[in-house]
Amino acid sequence: MTVARRYPLGLLAIVTVLPPAALSADYHHVQITAASPSEAVRWYERHMDCKPLADRNDTANCDDVELIFVAQPTMGSTQGTGVNHIAFSYADLDAKMGELEAVGVRGSGVRLQRFDGGATLRELPGLFKHGFVFDPWGTRIELVEDPDDQGFHHVHLSAADPDATLAWYRDAFGGEHAKLKEREAGLRFGDVWLLAARHPGGMPAPTQSRAIAHIAFSVPDLDGAAPRMRRNGVEFEARPATPENGRTKAKRAFARGPDNVTVAVVEPGFEGVEAVRAAARASDTTEPYSTPTTPWGEPDLQGVWTGNAAHGIPLERPTDLEDVEALTPEQAAARRERGTLGSIWGYEREWRDTTLGYDKMAPSTQVAMIVDPPSGRLPALTPEGRRMAEQARLERQGKAGRPPAGPEDLTPYVRCITRGIPGMMMPGIYNNGLQIVQGPGYVAIQKEMIHETRSIPTTPRERAGPKLTSWLGDPQGRWEGDTLVIESERFNGKGSYRGSTAAMKLTERFTRVGPAKLMYQFTVDDPNVWVEPWTAMFAFDLDDEQYELVEYACHEGNYGMFNILSGARAKDKQAAQAAR
Amino acid sequence: MVTRTARAEIDTGAGEPGSDALVSNRRAAQQPGIARHIRLSVASLALVAIASWTSAYAQDGAVRRGWDGRPDLNGIWQAIGTAHWNLEDHPAGPGHPDLGAIGAVPPGQGVVVGGEIPYLEAALEQRKKNARNRMTADPEAKCFLPGVPRATYLPYPFQIIQGDKKIMLLYGFAEANRTIHMDKENPEPPPLDSWMGRSHGRWEGDTLVVDAEGFNGEAWFDRAGNFASSALRVEERYTPLGPNAIQYEAAITDPTVFSRAWRIRLPLYRRLEENARVLEFKCVEFAEDLMYGHLRRKPTR
Repeated sequence: MTVARRYPLGLLAIVTVLPPAALSADYHHVQITAASPSEAVRWYERHMDCKPLADRNDTANCDDVELIFVAQPTMGSTQGTGVNHIAFSYADLDAKMGELEAVGVRGSGVRLQRFDGGATLRELPGLFKHGFVFDPWGTRIELVEDPDDQGFHHVHLSAADPDATLAWYRDAFGGEHAKLKEREAGLRFGDVWLLAARHPGGMPAPTQSRAIAHIAFSVPDLDGAAPRMRRNGVEFEARPATPENGRTKAKRAFARGPDNVTVAVVEPGFEGVEAVRAAARASDTTEPYSTPTTPWGEPDLQGVWTGNAAHGIPLERPTDLEDVEALTPEQAAARRERGTLGSIWGYEREWRDTTLGYDKMAPSTQVAMIVDPPSGRLPALTPEGRRMAEQARLERQGKAGRPPAGPEDLTPYVRCITRGIPGMMMPGIYNNGLQIVQGPGYVAIQKEMIHETRSIPTTPRERAGPKLTSWLGDPQGRWEGDTLVIESERFNGKGSYRGSTAAMKLTERFTRVGPAKLMYQFTVDDPNVWVEPWTAMFAFDLDDEQYELVEYACHEGNYGMFNILSGARAKDKQAAQAAR
Repeated sequence: MVTRTARAEIDTGAGEPGSDALVSNRRAAQQPGIARHIRLSVASLALVAIASWTSAYAQDGAVRRGWDGRPDLNGIWQAIGTAHWNLEDHPAGPGHPDLGAIGAVPPGQGVVVGGEIPYLEAALEQRKKNARNRMTADPEAKCFLPGVPRATYLPYPFQIIQGDKKIMLLYGFAEANRTIHMDKENPEPPPLDSWMGRSHGRWEGDTLVVDAEGFNGEAWFDRAGNFASSALRVEERYTPLGPNAIQYEAAITDPTVFSRAWRIRLPLYRRLEENARVLEFKCVEFAEDLMYGHLRRKPTR
């Protein structure tokens, strides 16, 4: 119909009988959204055997297919979009999968997808052995053992009508109709396969902003080729042009492919786009700021704040950053991502960032938290501090690898008791919300993680008696100008931070330094442990509009305790049987 | 001396507006190099300031009022009675035999308006089952968050921190706390079901009215196994009865458990000890044996 409207009848006859010769494009790249492109390059180098490029820190070369990473929050995995996954082929898949399983999700974020029964690999009759993993940014990756084709193997589309989809790509970009292992219909672009499976449930979701944002082909002379592609049904969403901040003059165009897939077409020599540094947030300016006051006349610190941007700042200054004033934004993003990948990163990213679409603050560029001593490192230990550190080390060593005998062998954090203080204030991998509510003479400071709320009197009251110790101590607050100062003591010593003891005196200072920035500074004075007090600081950012603290019912949902302890008893049983 | 002054002023409702003193205190605190004893005396001044500032607004001599003329509910409060044992009338009863009379259930008069909780038949069976298993099944025994309204009449003090946009309730036990949103014109749907629910508050005259919903249906109402489901909605009313008492009412609706809405009513009393505070009661440690004792290397259960 469309063709009939566009062209005179005579031409239509030719079109139907003899379609315009298809182009012969090459497969060029996959664009992946990842919080830190440099960390993504490292991940694909380490786990998928791709090669980093010396002059492009956002691209990995995988068997001459480029993976180009862009620094954006990923709005969800590839699953559900028209590009279900990409695939890599290995000569010895068992060995490869064994390697990935050993890394695990806490190593650097290899997520395994298990088949029913728990296996990570299975045989596809007539094809090959295969399995699936996810990269930390939601890209589903198939691993296959295809002796005919190693390295980057295929792009697997998810299509409402797979035959029609493959026909569209064939008409648009060429490629050779072929059957993978004589079974699976696809298109071949050199040694890269384009395969298509039927999408369950109609039309897939758009690829834009998802883990794989687009797939890309290359043709020489894009301007010359574009009319032919148009005649073959390609609708361009962006005409061929050299992209702004393009690394080369090579042109690029975007088309909307079938199944809501964004398809880029580039000229050979395309080397991606130089990332543009995001403008500083208003709160980062150094304009003098005057703290608002509550209706009853006290400085107003109220609101919902998060420590997300501070997550990743090490307590102590790393030795290789001794003369560095601040990290570059790229370095900060990479540091943050390393911290994320080395930990339990799943739900904050997938639930808060992706599902709720929270706008994450740019990670802090602060080099280290400790500001005093000026070296940025903890002061020397006292002889007693050294003795206790050695004892703690031996205890850890003794426990390492040994199944816990009971709850008491696990940390207070694992047991959902507390992270102690200042531990509870420190930014972590998730649930970094901090809510401050004030009433006359009192400040309530609520941390989302574990749901701890501190009630701070800002007028003097008698100290709790010396026998009345607690995990978080007895706080006494006061206002020094617009700064809330809290001095706490009477600790029970069980919530140690870096070796602190019950004798610690903790002084915290909360100061609003901008409309959306709350500087948090704390001084630990514990003469049992350190020869002098030390002070650290980081900032919380106001996130009142979107962030709400959730009820972190930690102990109530602590299935981990059941699992850890029942696992420990199973290990005991195994050991007893082995000894017999 | 300072505390006596403060108390006297609160008790009599006399005193001077303290805002000037408060400002000069803050100005003084900004001066660098103030010696500790000066800081202390400045701080003492601040206590007087806050106390007299508070009492200055107690114009009717009975209800303490805050900066906005609303009742000032700030302070440490506690229910007295046996509602935490059983919301309904109950005679004395046995507890865990190992605890002797310490563990016994004291007799108590109910706080349910009209006497009985109107359970649906199936729910009544569940309540009886709960009661039979209370020593191990009661969420309180496991140090779980107490839910609403149970948190209010636990046998421990709780603190109200009443701000201009939010009111925070801090209960101590299990680190339970609630944020009452006073600044949301249209109640927002709870993002997730939770133990403590989501609370929106408003003033009706001198009564703080709080609508709480979004519960997960796991919490109980007392140690006798009274309970509700996740369909629970609670409308609480906090009405000051003078400077040192609040009439607390909670209307309870849950069509999956009760045949009609019902109410509890009990007073909350201000803790008048000079040094009253909500103490940290992290109870997880004390519930671990109950919950994980069977998983110890040397099982205790």
